[in-house]
Amino acid sequence: MTVEAVHRGPIASGSIAGSTPAPGWFKQNRSAIVRHAVINFFMLIILAPLAWVLVMSVKSLPDAMRGDFWPRTFDFTHYTYVFERIATLPVNLFNSIYVTAATVLITTFCAVLAGYALVHLRPRGAGLVVTALLVSLYFPVRVVSLISIYETQHWLGLINSTSGLILPYVTLQLAISILIMRSMFQLVPHELIEAARIDGAGHWRTLWTVGVPMVRNGLVVIFIVNFVAAWGEYLLCLTLVDDEAKRTMPVVLAAAQGGQGYWAWPNLAAVYVIVVTPGILAFSFAQRLFFKGLAEGVVKG
Amino acid sequence: MANTIASQGVSVSGAQRANRAGRHAALIGQGIGAWLFLAPAVVFFVGYQVYPIFRVLWMSFTDYQFLSNAPSHWVWFDNYESALSDPLLWSSLWRAAIFTIMFLPGTIILPLLLAILVDRVANPRLATVYRVVLLIPAVIPSTLVFVLWKWMYNYQAGPINHFLVDTTGLFTLQNAPQWLGGTPLTLPSIAVMEVWWGLGYHTIFFIAGLAAIPKDLPEAARIDGANEWQVFWHVTRPRLAPIMMILVVLRFGTAMAVIDEYLIFGGFNRASPTYTWTIFMYDQAFKLGLWRQGYAAAIGMIGAIAMMFVMVILLRIFRPKG
Repeated sequence: MTVEAVHRGPIASGSIAGSTPAPGWFKQNRSAIVRHAVINFFMLIILAPLAWVLVMSVKSLPDAMRGDFWPRTFDFTHYTYVFERIATLPVNLFNSIYVTAATVLITTFCAVLAGYALVHLRPRGAGLVVTALLVSLYFPVRVVSLISIYETQHWLGLINSTSGLILPYVTLQLAISILIMRSMFQLVPHELIEAARIDGAGHWRTLWTVGVPMVRNGLVVIFIVNFVAAWGEYLLCLTLVDDEAKRTMPVVLAAAQGGQGYWAWPNLAAVYVIVVTPGILAFSFAQRLFFKGLAEGVVKG
Repeated sequence: MANTIASQGVSVSGAQRANRAGRHAALIGQGIGAWLFLAPAVVFFVGYQVYPIFRVLWMSFTDYQFLSNAPSHWVWFDNYESALSDPLLWSSLWRAAIFTIMFLPGTIILPLLLAILVDRVANPRLATVYRVVLLIPAVIPSTLVFVLWKWMYNYQAGPINHFLVDTTGLFTLQNAPQWLGGTPLTLPSIAVMEVWWGLGYHTIFFIAGLAAIPKDLPEAARIDGANEWQVFWHVTRPRLAPIMMILVVLRFGTAMAVIDEYLIFGGFNRASPTYTWTIFMYDQAFKLGLWRQGYAAAIGMIGAIAMMFVMVILLRIFRPKG
């Protein structure tokens, strides 16, 4: 019975106040209660800022000025208002979706092929590739390469081009994606690949019919990692794109000053909720696969 | 779990050895095929990671100016000399180091504590809920985290100052803390935000590490009379050391090279604590009218080399023994 009560955790602490438990109960479960209290304190800290934004996005304008957490009147019109009245916003949102989708697809494609090749084809120089990938994780590539990337993009005629962002975006998390895929493919027995090869399948078909289904947990991790990187990228978009209508959501949001009019706080909060929700939703649905993939990756890496 | 992986590893290499002898003739053809598979990744990686670094290294030895049509000249160490004799470079490096010192302990110790607590939650449903909540900040993209906290810290409308002024009355509207915008509080405020951001992700990392420790090890230590602290220090900590090393070194790298946060919270005021070597570089390369990219490249290389130097030292300190 006590074990049950401990596991009920945060709810259990509520029931202590309600019904007076046996005198020894609190003493017996003290460490469990303290543990759950501390955990829930951290959970609260994690969730509080997000709750604040969510509630802000449905506050009426006077309530937003008042600053109390819970509004006196709710107003759900901010969500439609921002799209109808801020002309560039739908364009910016589309830019973000377009750039992110392309980045995730291209990076995943590259990482799957490379991971497979590094483990099951082992070409000469594979060790060098892995070393270079590892070093790039520790070197501040993102900052230092900026000057040269500007030059490259200018040379390719891709300054002020939304599509042009995809090229540098692919490399944002490419190294870590390849390394994750590599450790995933190391879990695929070599005999399995060989069996498919003996049955007459080429490496291309073996990869997609035998390999990829076995690394799908890793694919989920890569999808999410690359989505998060591209969806929130700021530095490159700020530097390479000047035109407001060609920029992505992060740059627009970071520049918006809360106040009156178009960018009144609830409007800003509504935009924020629209931008932040897809990632959290996708993760919530995929979390079981994600944790499996993460565990497999971490154990190996 | 660890055992099955290890035995798989053995059988894989065994199979490879057997195959290698048999298919020696096919090896040459296979090499080209393998590089075809690697090609897309390598093209992107070389084009946007490897080449830029060497290009910037080259620039740092020239008077390269993107906007000027005049050809650039090889100036040897001129850029490095003028950068190293500029007090701004030293203060900008020092500022980045101060931020790192503020950020690093919190982002390692808090998640470790939290992981040990969450690891002991036996109810599977509750454990899942905790894990999902923990990872929510990790799936919020970087800039959205900064925008969120820019509002949290807002002087007038932010909930933190609202709590300090209206709810508790500790401050008035006149003397409420100015969290961001180049004040002395700016770096600690950013550090708190970064700890919040990494809290869940790092905790999950440690939980994965804890899960790999056989349960009977801490049990045996407890039966031998060790208290919780001794169990942590002598049983858990050495086994988490590899994960801890990776986190310390990686987070040292991110903290020293922070740039987006400083652009959003600090701007280009040279007196601001957020004017670090990364902002100094960006300022020289893209903001000041001259666009002195050769000089900016030298600043970038100095910052990167200084970082790598400390990282190597950290790797030596935290390298697990044995």
